[in-house]
Amino acid sequence: MTDLLNSPEDMAFRKEIRDFVAAELDPDTRAKVVRGAPLVRDDFMMWHRSLYQKGWAAPGWPKEHGGPGWSARQRLIADEELFRLHTPPLPGFGFKMIGPILMRFGSTAQQQRFLPRILSGEDWWCQGFSETGAGSDLAALRTRAERTKGGWLISGSKTWTTYAQYANWIFCLVRTDPDVKKQEGISMMLVDMSAPGLTRRGIRLMDGTEEVNEIFLDQVFVPDDMVVGEINMGWTYAKALLEHERLGIGGIGRSKHLLERAREMARAAGCEAEPEIADALAEFEIDIMAIEATTLRLMAAAEAGVRIGAETSLLKIRGTETQQGLTELMLDIAGPSALPARDSGATEEPFENVAFQFMNWRKLSIYGGSNEIQRSILASQVLGL
Amino acid sequence: MIRFDIPDDETLLLRDTAERFVADHYGLAQRNVMLEQPPEQVPPHWGEMAELGWLAAAVPEAAGGLGLSAAQLVPMLEVLGRGLVLEPVGPVAMKCAATLARALPDAGAELEPILSGERIALVAEGAPGAPVSAVKTGGALVLSGVAPLVMAGPWAQVFWVVAELDGAPVLMRIPAEAADVTPVRLVDGQVAARVCFDGVRCAQEDVVTGCAEALAYGRDMALVGVLAEMSGLVDALHGATLDYVKLREQFGRAIGRFQVVQHRMSEMFIRREEVHSMARLAAEAMEGDDAAFRGKLVSAARVKIAKDARVVMRDAVQLHGGIGVTDELAVGHMLKRLLVLSQVEGGRASHLKRFRALIGL
Repeated sequence: MTDLLNSPEDMAFRKEIRDFVAAELDPDTRAKVVRGAPLVRDDFMMWHRSLYQKGWAAPGWPKEHGGPGWSARQRLIADEELFRLHTPPLPGFGFKMIGPILMRFGSTAQQQRFLPRILSGEDWWCQGFSETGAGSDLAALRTRAERTKGGWLISGSKTWTTYAQYANWIFCLVRTDPDVKKQEGISMMLVDMSAPGLTRRGIRLMDGTEEVNEIFLDQVFVPDDMVVGEINMGWTYAKALLEHERLGIGGIGRSKHLLERAREMARAAGCEAEPEIADALAEFEIDIMAIEATTLRLMAAAEAGVRIGAETSLLKIRGTETQQGLTELMLDIAGPSALPARDSGATEEPFENVAFQFMNWRKLSIYGGSNEIQRSILASQVLGL
Repeated sequence: MIRFDIPDDETLLLRDTAERFVADHYGLAQRNVMLEQPPEQVPPHWGEMAELGWLAAAVPEAAGGLGLSAAQLVPMLEVLGRGLVLEPVGPVAMKCAATLARALPDAGAELEPILSGERIALVAEGAPGAPVSAVKTGGALVLSGVAPLVMAGPWAQVFWVVAELDGAPVLMRIPAEAADVTPVRLVDGQVAARVCFDGVRCAQEDVVTGCAEALAYGRDMALVGVLAEMSGLVDALHGATLDYVKLREQFGRAIGRFQVVQHRMSEMFIRREEVHSMARLAAEAMEGDDAAFRGKLVSAARVKIAKDARVVMRDAVQLHGGIGVTDELAVGHMLKRLLVLSQVEGGRASHLKRFRALIGL
């Protein structure tokens, strides 16, 4: 695999990460990640604790909030190495979403209360944005909050809530003013998952897992101090999220991990030298290189003070296309070996999760703004169409 | 080391000078007049290009050049590419001069008239699998074979022929009058030549051996020049098409208001950005001593850019509609230039093969 970041300093930093992972990563967890098996709470939490003790839990956070103080270049390298070394990819709802929102828009009390607990893993956050009628058109959301003494009462429902079964907090977008333009009547609130009136139902997915949930809110009380920033400014805060850590959305580490996996499978299946397979493996390596080169170019521009905006949508589009394409290549390589169900007793290493990954990773081009939405963002915000 | 530093002052100065040059000399109508010239005639601005330092830019200072990095030249070459210039900056500066600076122990004397624009020297090579061959006869070497397509060939005073001698590549200096040079007009109006060597004698002192590394470097450098020109052209096609879909009205509104057009423009934008990145990546890879790393990145860039350029060519014409297939817009001329650049210095397939070998596949 070609690594573009290979200066002596880069290599020393890679080694530091490799040494740490070699010493800390539980072999059973590693084996699950290698095989592409579904991960559960303990897999994530054990690894989270190791990273936390090392001070590496939140690579993107500034030092004063407990981040490691890495440069953007180091963060890319760390992401790449952690994927390559088969560590569990930690969900980003705390580190990459509500954490940065609170740092920027939250009250001092909210920051002091929540940020250390995100870092340590004491709190697990989930995201209450999507609703049945509000997916790509998120601003059409209808879950409402009504004024009551000392706070708000939320009623409505949320869906596609990833890992809500593990979460003790959820950050929600709710409608606080139904009479203005739809984007202008939305607020962001922090809700305790154990609050009376909040219930959860798991959604079984086609791959057999229950990664996502529905959340029902019936007159759930939220005190005033759990409102983020100002009332009716929630849309602005959510949009600001789109500008945080955007250079990482190409998912270079994940793509390289998948490509290495595909190549191992080709070797195991004895088809690595077949022209169709070898060409496909080579072209994916080149595609990943193009995403990486574009990421580095935008990063260098950002460091030089150029404002990088919506053009990062291209990283998401190409990153997810590549990753989904690799799950298809794995199917080509595996042939019928991809077919036995996971619990059939007839699965064959290393192909046991190939079909599962094809199904599971459909989500990549849907969540976080579907690739069609990303293309429309490029057209309107970058191209002026 | 890959850095993607933002352009420094020298880089911007070169680029800005090129932009003024293209604006002054390369309007479509001016260029069409130049295309009517007989193929033997060197395009008119060669001397000016040499004076601007473009031919010397990539050559190390020790060999009489300006010692700029490949990355510093990319923005200038992008401008020359989109400007559709006809003078052979790529074949002379990026290929021949870059190769000679590495291959000759004391390159300064040979390069001096080339960099000053007095003499046009070109690398001439056989087709893949059919190299020009050299055999020893007494004190001299005798050269036989064909270089089927030497860009700017009719204008050369000197060919540096890549020949095979006892299974190893050598460079041989051959005056143009010793070869049989037939001009070949290319699809985009540029001029190349078929150059035949039929028992041409070459003295020992005009033969350079042990130059495999220099040849590989020169090929990669030439390709970087090609890719930079392609990047400029892709950018120009994207810009022209974007302008057009904002202006062209059908069904009562600009066609750029239709989502299907918007998404195709987004796709073209993504490809433009990838091409831009890969051209710079290839240029940065020219630094340093790791030839395998360089080769991997340069070939990867070729594969990616060739593929992206095809989509951009196709969509630029498609979104222009009928007017896109005429000879009146720059679009068609840019498409033809991209076609030529896609096929020279090893096409997509050959570089995919090289890349595969370099990553062990």
